[in-house]
Amino acid sequence: MKPIRIALTKGRLEKSTVELFEKLGYNCDEIHNKGRRLILSVDGGQFEVVLAKAADVITYVEHGVCDLGVVGKDTILENGTSFYELLDLGFGKCKFALACKKGYDFYHGYGAKTIATKYPKVTRNFFEGKNMDVRVIKIEGSVELAPLVGLADGIVDIVETGSTLKANDLEVIEYVTDISARLIANTASLKLRKYEIEELVRKMEAEVK
Amino acid sequence: MKKNLKITPEGTKDYLFKECTAVDYVCKKIQNVFDNHQFHRVITPALEYYDLFSTDSSGISPESMFKTTDNNGRLIAVRPDSTLPIARLVSTRMQNEVLPVRLYYNQAVYRNNPSLTGRSNEIMQMGIELIGSRGKRADLEVITTAIQSMQAVSDDFRIEVGHSMLFNTLLDSLDADEEIKEHIRIYIENKNYSALNDILDKLNPSDTVTAIRTVPSLFGGEEVFERAEKIINNKKALDAIEYLKSLYKDLSTLDLGDKIIIDLGLVQHNDYYSGIVFTGYVLGYGDAILSGGRYDKIFDEFNCSIGASGFAININHLAEQARYYSKSNIPEVLVFAKNDCDIMKAIKYTSKLVEQGTKAQFSDLSDESEAREFAEKLGIKKFEIIGD
Repeated sequence: MKPIRIALTKGRLEKSTVELFEKLGYNCDEIHNKGRRLILSVDGGQFEVVLAKAADVITYVEHGVCDLGVVGKDTILENGTSFYELLDLGFGKCKFALACKKGYDFYHGYGAKTIATKYPKVTRNFFEGKNMDVRVIKIEGSVELAPLVGLADGIVDIVETGSTLKANDLEVIEYVTDISARLIANTASLKLRKYEIEELVRKMEAEVK
Repeated sequence: MKKNLKITPEGTKDYLFKECTAVDYVCKKIQNVFDNHQFHRVITPALEYYDLFSTDSSGISPESMFKTTDNNGRLIAVRPDSTLPIARLVSTRMQNEVLPVRLYYNQAVYRNNPSLTGRSNEIMQMGIELIGSRGKRADLEVITTAIQSMQAVSDDFRIEVGHSMLFNTLLDSLDADEEIKEHIRIYIENKNYSALNDILDKLNPSDTVTAIRTVPSLFGGEEVFERAEKIINNKKALDAIEYLKSLYKDLSTLDLGDKIIIDLGLVQHNDYYSGIVFTGYVLGYGDAILSGGRYDKIFDEFNCSIGASGFAININHLAEQARYYSKSNIPEVLVFAKNDCDIMKAIKYTSKLVEQGTKAQFSDLSDESEAREFAEKLGIKKFEIIGD
């Protein structure tokens, strides 16, 4: 039988997932000693772990080359289309927030506001929900810069501790939504390998609850 | 030079040799199943008026259609689906036919998918439409035809069966506004439990809320019915479950074990399903390759109230899998005419060989050494010369 292949978001989510696996008694030595390899076997080949960038985790799962994936809700909201979201893993917690320069009255006036963000889809949905017409500009790097140099009135970004905002004299106006790591599954895999996947999900659920 | 001279548009591709053989192979296998159930082929135009696909119940988003205009400026869509054209055809040109009619199609549909996702914008589809009948007999025959089609082309597949009324009645009885209901529909379809729970937490607790919370996890074998009956007390929803239960019992006589799955959370994009819904998966492909169900409602749009059910199978991926075991298309014999006066003789001889069952090909190269080299390069084992 082919091992179940799981795509992990590289970095922090990968670390927390490996911790979770080890708590469940799965041997993750190969992930700890991965070197430059990208496909790693867990617990003597019961699972196979693939390490990828967040948005790519979704791509691999959607196309069915990976059966499961661990990815942040932020990435799901921005890139997600068709897959099953099975479990809130409870780690990788943070928030999407709308922020602007301290003291700036964001909702004042009738002029359309400009928002800089790495997450244009999340931003558009948020303001559509408020019936507000905004101009969205996509920024790849530090979004906090945009309101400071006058490119945008505000930003929509991930806020964890708020220290970057504070250091740049920005403040949160409103939280958009909570974020945490999620376990996602390919639609076909869930049907074709139901029992194996359900067993793993049950174990993980019992551990994170 | 023109910029796009040498590429095909994104989401499309050329099919060559073995790829085509594989497509033919898959189509033939499925066509056999359709023929055995006495379905008859129809061909509809690739271009249709946009209005046909923009009805409330079509379930096809305007963004996903390729559009153009006719010479009066009327909006035309490149067929994104074959069921609606067939509904149009039946309700107009076939209105005096004896019902039910059994139709099948084998034609591509076109969807304008977001770019860089690797999805095909041109999807070869085969499907059936059983029009003019309702009820269990029709449902069982359509599902069985779907199962047999899957069996004909794949060893490892799953068909999941659900009922659109189950979820629709639960949602109707829910005390919430339409927008929230639409969100719930999307979350259930994507099995997005966490977002579903978030939205349900905000509503007043009730039996319906609990039922909606649980329905998405209700898929599997027979045990699903028992679990469902415990949490659902809506009469109409229970009727749907009862109906599925009897279908499942009948289908289990096919001895397919867990290849048939009950999925009470199965909700399709298309609003038009009004009874059973089903989806098919094969090992090695990450998306459904077959989908269908009962869609009596679509005929309401044509002022013609008749029952209809059917399904469509996507051929592209099945053909990709079939490529590895489809037969070689290299000829066994190359026939060469020595002189120009032997050409007709050689062509006739080639035809004779083919009639006798040998894969023979006439060589249209006029130089013998060139022809021999061609045969060698292609791997044609036998070289025959006609003439002295």
